[in-house]
Amino acid sequence: MARIITITSGKGGVGKTTTTANLGTALAMQGAKVAVIDADIGLRNLDVVMGLENRIVYDLVDVVEGRARLRQALIKDKRLPELCLMPAAQTRDKDAVSPAQMIELTNQLRQEFDYVLIDSPAGIEGGFRNAIAGADEVVIVTTPEVSAVRDADRIVGLVEAAEKGPPSLIVNRIKPKLVNRGEMLSVDDVLELLAINLIGIVPDDETIVTSTNRGEAVVYDQGSLAGRAFLNIARRLAGEDVPFMAITDQQSVFERLFGMFGRRRS
Amino acid sequence: MGLFDSLFGTRRDQRSAQVAKERLATVLVDDRYKLTPEMKEQMKLDIAEVLARYLPAIDPDQIEVTLLRGEASDHLKADIPLRRAQSDL
Repeated sequence: MARIITITSGKGGVGKTTTTANLGTALAMQGAKVAVIDADIGLRNLDVVMGLENRIVYDLVDVVEGRARLRQALIKDKRLPELCLMPAAQTRDKDAVSPAQMIELTNQLRQEFDYVLIDSPAGIEGGFRNAIAGADEVVIVTTPEVSAVRDADRIVGLVEAAEKGPPSLIVNRIKPKLVNRGEMLSVDDVLELLAINLIGIVPDDETIVTSTNRGEAVVYDQGSLAGRAFLNIARRLAGEDVPFMAITDQQSVFERLFGMFGRRRS
Repeated sequence: MGLFDSLFGTRRDQRSAQVAKERLATVLVDDRYKLTPEMKEQMKLDIAEVLARYLPAIDPDQIEVTLLRGEASDHLKADIPLRRAQSDL
């Protein structure tokens, strides 16, 4: 029986789709059976991020409207046989699906997978409501910016009102240099403001750009800090107690030594 | 930064992360209580009107109303400067 987890944010462009793709991949790498669903109807993206855009025949709306069976619309990942994508429709809009239909769909998927991850559209309207309708748990992605944090707080309120239980938080695109200079909100600042459970810290990392360009998950890249961060989040989702990695500036040895004697910033 | 500035620093002297945090702290609670800036202004006028029954005239423009998020409960903090009472009272 799958856990249905919706990844949402309020604000667009904070990394929901990248997070969904990488957590889905990481969980499948651990051996779980995973379905990732693109719930952003009309603005399909999870397929290109995962490099599966050429394999789409049927989509979520086809399944909901009975033109395709569930199995037909689930696209197998290139590398991991236990990972499947259900793409969003590109030519329809959010109103093509109702919350009741999403609950029905997730209940069908529940039988066959260990995890169902739903990539929510930005915003707080119909598309978001659909994305959380069938969810057991909600993960909120934010970046350390005033707009993203404010929107995340709106989502916290809406998730609580929808009685989904307390959401957990991923703080994405942390820039340690800026945080150390006091010019970017720290993870602690964001946590204090939003007062929800932290499940992941993802440093800003250029490898995200290059891996996304190629349609590959960054969790395959052993040297990538963001990749390691997503692997850790997947392990925490699976119930492991994984310490948060220290997000430090990529300092030189000299700076590190100096830092040991000098000011210690947290 | 001089001693005066470091003791009585204004927002301009603060790091931008600190400014962001303080602004967010205010706006998040206001959002949650659906307290608009207009409502805040009206609240100040009303507070001044009620208090004027008991205290010398209070300037609504001097009042500061802030909602604060707390662990167990949230708070409304009102800073209401009083006009000094006449010394010959």
